[in-house]
Amino acid sequence: MKRLVTVAVTIAALTALNGCGRNAGGGPPDRPAETGAGPARGTVTVWAMGTEGEKLSVLAEGFEAANPGVKVDVTAIPWDGAHDKIASAIAGRATPDMSMVGTTWMGEFATTGALDPTPAGFDKDAYFPGAWDTTTVNGTSYGVPWYVETRLIYYRTDLAEKAGVKPPANWAELTSFVTALRDRGGAAYGISLPPGGTGAWQTFLPFAWQRGASITGADGAFTLDTPEMARALDYYLSYFRKRLSPAALQPGELEQGFIDGKIASFVSGPWHIGVLKDQAKGKLDGRFGVALMPRERTGASFVGGADLVVFKDARNRHGAWKFVEYLSRPEVQATWYRTVNDLPAVKDGWSGITDPMLRLFGEQLGDAQAPPAVPTWEQVAAVIDGELEKAVKAGMPSDAALKAMQQKAAAIGTGP
Amino acid sequence: MTAAVSGARGKRRAQSRSAGGRAWVVHAALAIALVAAASPFAWMLSGSVKTDAEIRRVPPTWLPDQATLDNYRELFERLDFTRYFVNSLIVTGAVTLGNLVFCSMLGYALAKIDFPGRRALFALVLGTLMVPGAVTFVPLFVLVSNLGLVDSYLGMILPFLAGPFGVFLMRQYISGLPDEVIDAARIDGAGQIRIFLRIVAPLARPALATLGILTFLGTWNSFLWPLVVAQSEEKYTLPVALALYSIGQNQTRFGLLLAGAVVVVVPVLVVFVALQRFFVQGIATTGLK
Amino acid sequence: MVVRTARDPAPAPAVPRRAGMSDRTRRGLAAWGFALPFLVLFVTFMAGPVLASLLMSLTDLRSADLRDPLAVNPVGLDNYTRLLRDEVFLQAAVNTLYFVVIGVPLTIVCALAVAVLLNKGVTRLRTFFRVGFYLPVVTSIVAVAVVWRFLLQPDTGPVNQLLRLAGIDGPHWLADPVWAMPALILMAAWRNMGYLMVVFLAGLQSIPRELYEAAEVDGAGPWARFREVTLPMLRPTLLFGTVITGIGYLQFFEEPLVMTRGGPLNRTLSVSYYIYNQFGFGNYSYAAAMGYVLFVAIVVLTVVQFRLLRPRT
Repeated sequence: MKRLVTVAVTIAALTALNGCGRNAGGGPPDRPAETGAGPARGTVTVWAMGTEGEKLSVLAEGFEAANPGVKVDVTAIPWDGAHDKIASAIAGRATPDMSMVGTTWMGEFATTGALDPTPAGFDKDAYFPGAWDTTTVNGTSYGVPWYVETRLIYYRTDLAEKAGVKPPANWAELTSFVTALRDRGGAAYGISLPPGGTGAWQTFLPFAWQRGASITGADGAFTLDTPEMARALDYYLSYFRKRLSPAALQPGELEQGFIDGKIASFVSGPWHIGVLKDQAKGKLDGRFGVALMPRERTGASFVGGADLVVFKDARNRHGAWKFVEYLSRPEVQATWYRTVNDLPAVKDGWSGITDPMLRLFGEQLGDAQAPPAVPTWEQVAAVIDGELEKAVKAGMPSDAALKAMQQKAAAIGTGP
Repeated sequence: MTAAVSGARGKRRAQSRSAGGRAWVVHAALAIALVAAASPFAWMLSGSVKTDAEIRRVPPTWLPDQATLDNYRELFERLDFTRYFVNSLIVTGAVTLGNLVFCSMLGYALAKIDFPGRRALFALVLGTLMVPGAVTFVPLFVLVSNLGLVDSYLGMILPFLAGPFGVFLMRQYISGLPDEVIDAARIDGAGQIRIFLRIVAPLARPALATLGILTFLGTWNSFLWPLVVAQSEEKYTLPVALALYSIGQNQTRFGLLLAGAVVVVVPVLVVFVALQRFFVQGIATTGLK
Repeated sequence: MVVRTARDPAPAPAVPRRAGMSDRTRRGLAAWGFALPFLVLFVTFMAGPVLASLLMSLTDLRSADLRDPLAVNPVGLDNYTRLLRDEVFLQAAVNTLYFVVIGVPLTIVCALAVAVLLNKGVTRLRTFFRVGFYLPVVTSIVAVAVVWRFLLQPDTGPVNQLLRLAGIDGPHWLADPVWAMPALILMAAWRNMGYLMVVFLAGLQSIPRELYEAAEVDGAGPWARFREVTLPMLRPTLLFGTVITGIGYLQFFEEPLVMTRGGPLNRTLSVSYYIYNQFGFGNYSYAAAMGYVLFVAIVVLTVVQFRLLRPRT
């Protein structure tokens, strides 16, 4: 009954909106607490997505052995719907102690004030820098990277050999590499870049970073119409204007086209190694490889993956951070890689990985960036995807596209 | 009445014989349409016994190169299937039953009783039907959380126990039933409850079957609400559990996804086959004679 | 439609304790009694969230405020005026209208045709046919998307191959700004036909067989019987079907989500899809405002449908 009253009061309060409003200066800044000494106790409730959620109990056993009296209670949640579940839980104050969170959601969830700042005990230099940046919102870190992925250029080594070209070192070389794959290697398209649409920004922005562009300026406002950005967009568009890349692709056509030799290269993350091997049934053995991103001012790629966060409302804050710390240990990260193939976010976790393709992903992680962790990022990303599509498919001039990007991004802002 | 019905049947039979050619055309046309209607379902079935690699192939194949039950095996090995099935059954059973009872009650009142506030009440039902669900999702969860119903079956059931859809459906169907039947019962001295149970409910069987089929379908397949309300895997419903391993952060396991879809669809089809027999022309002879 | 009070019997003497109540009061009590469970659930679970979301649309609430929803600024109708200047929203509104105006009649006609044929025309394998036409409703949207994408492939797809036989050079369907929407309308009609078929099959049962027999005696052919008996008698069910389809189609969303992601160039972006996106972006108040604009559109559409299909009195 008391709860019913609370609800009634909440609704009544919502009606009297004049009485409330945002604090002018915001609350006091979050100050990280210490991890605290002493072993973890009690139950730690964790949410983790899909396979990670299923297998996390394997790691929890080690943690429980090292901390007698602690019990880790993992709930696996499907990726599809995970964002909504966490957001609703924050609104309904029904969060667990800690959770796995997609890197691009960090800005949004941290700004709600539901996340506990990372305690001082964590060493940010142990993690890949781009991955650590995904946890940092307004200068404060809210969690640590758990696993990472980055993007490389996949290409058909046999076609490259036939065309007599080597993996490109810079933009000019990438253009001639891709042209050669098409003209001398016999592919219909030298490369496949996303022609706009959902998620295209993850492939486009690395080119901007490579040119030295930055998404936000020193004051935190968006800077999407800088000369560097313009150079990057013109360069990206050149692949479509020269018909080096297809401008429309159905799902599944990319992999099939790559296996059939119609598409000679594309940009993607480590999961495509398995997908290609699986689908090609031996036809691609020794015929494809990966290459680092081309280097202009930087050789940056995109970094994604997932972070671990602890909620402010956690009943077992201490135990949760202890578990996060345990999961960040290099040997535990290595075990995790062996268990579910997630690439370690901690640099020292890589010592056991010998596969040459994966090693190259590891190398790229040293020069990989994440978009700014602002709560509005997904919305700005959709603007970039949309304007990019107009430039590729509807012939919108690149300066007009960038102007529109900047204007819309500025109107959206970087959140409260 | 029986005599009249059988007489009518005899006449129909004679006529259908004379129109045998036309029936053939109808059957043939429907059969062609059926292929168009059912082909994605067929692809779903065949996809569930394919490897991921083959599912991703362009253009798609209709029959698997090598049929494999690996997708099903993996699902059943990784999931506590019985538990999720039972959870789904509890939630869907309760919601369906609630809708059948409560919606037909109100539907009857709106259709056949003249009472003060009737128009307003019907407008309220329609209005509720029109509110886009996405808009109230978060406030509803906050409410359910404050009521202490998180991680409970009740939290999954109560908000959907009497939907406006069902009220509208029942109201429309019942208002199509002839008034004379109800008036006749009233003359015999029957009260409203008796009329509802003895006269209206039996006559409304086709509509109840429809409501049962559609409510079962909608509730059985619902994903986001049970996921958000459940705080532990023990409370997951079947669609939530089946989504656990098929969709990843950057890629989808299509084989698991399709096998899961097939598993989810079986009970829905069973319910459909069981209830569709109420759609038999002639149940609603009015008994006027 | 209204119960004919003139034919109501006098209060039955068998129920003496009700003797003091007027007929009207008793009917009212009974009716509200029937309404009680729905009302209790409505007040508990629907009224609050609707009110809250309505108020939400008058503030600048974003997902970042979730933990502290009262610490927001009232902004009056700003969200609503902003909508009118949002070119993407306006495009989505036009797309949605297009979808509804073409899609609803198409779906109703197809579903009605199938229901009538399955109800009477088909004598053999009735259950088999019914299940078959119900299958699109229960088929996983993922499978639907794969097969429809295959059907609509520009070069190798069966649709364009058929068109080629007729000497027509088929478009790029899903990648073509003009043809993507018709493709989705077709797909939606296909998907929802089975759903409505079930509703219509039930509605057909409420038509007394005597009426058909009387019409037959009068020498009416199948088409005349359909026009003179089936259509008028099916009015309440038809109204239901049209309203439900109208509401569903005004909120259409799954088809573009799996087929086109709202593209190409936002040509298949629906209002609901845009709301979904804005929710995903955390713009809760803006999304709520759009939701209520959609609500008003649905109300208008429904009122029109009620007018058009009003029972003849």
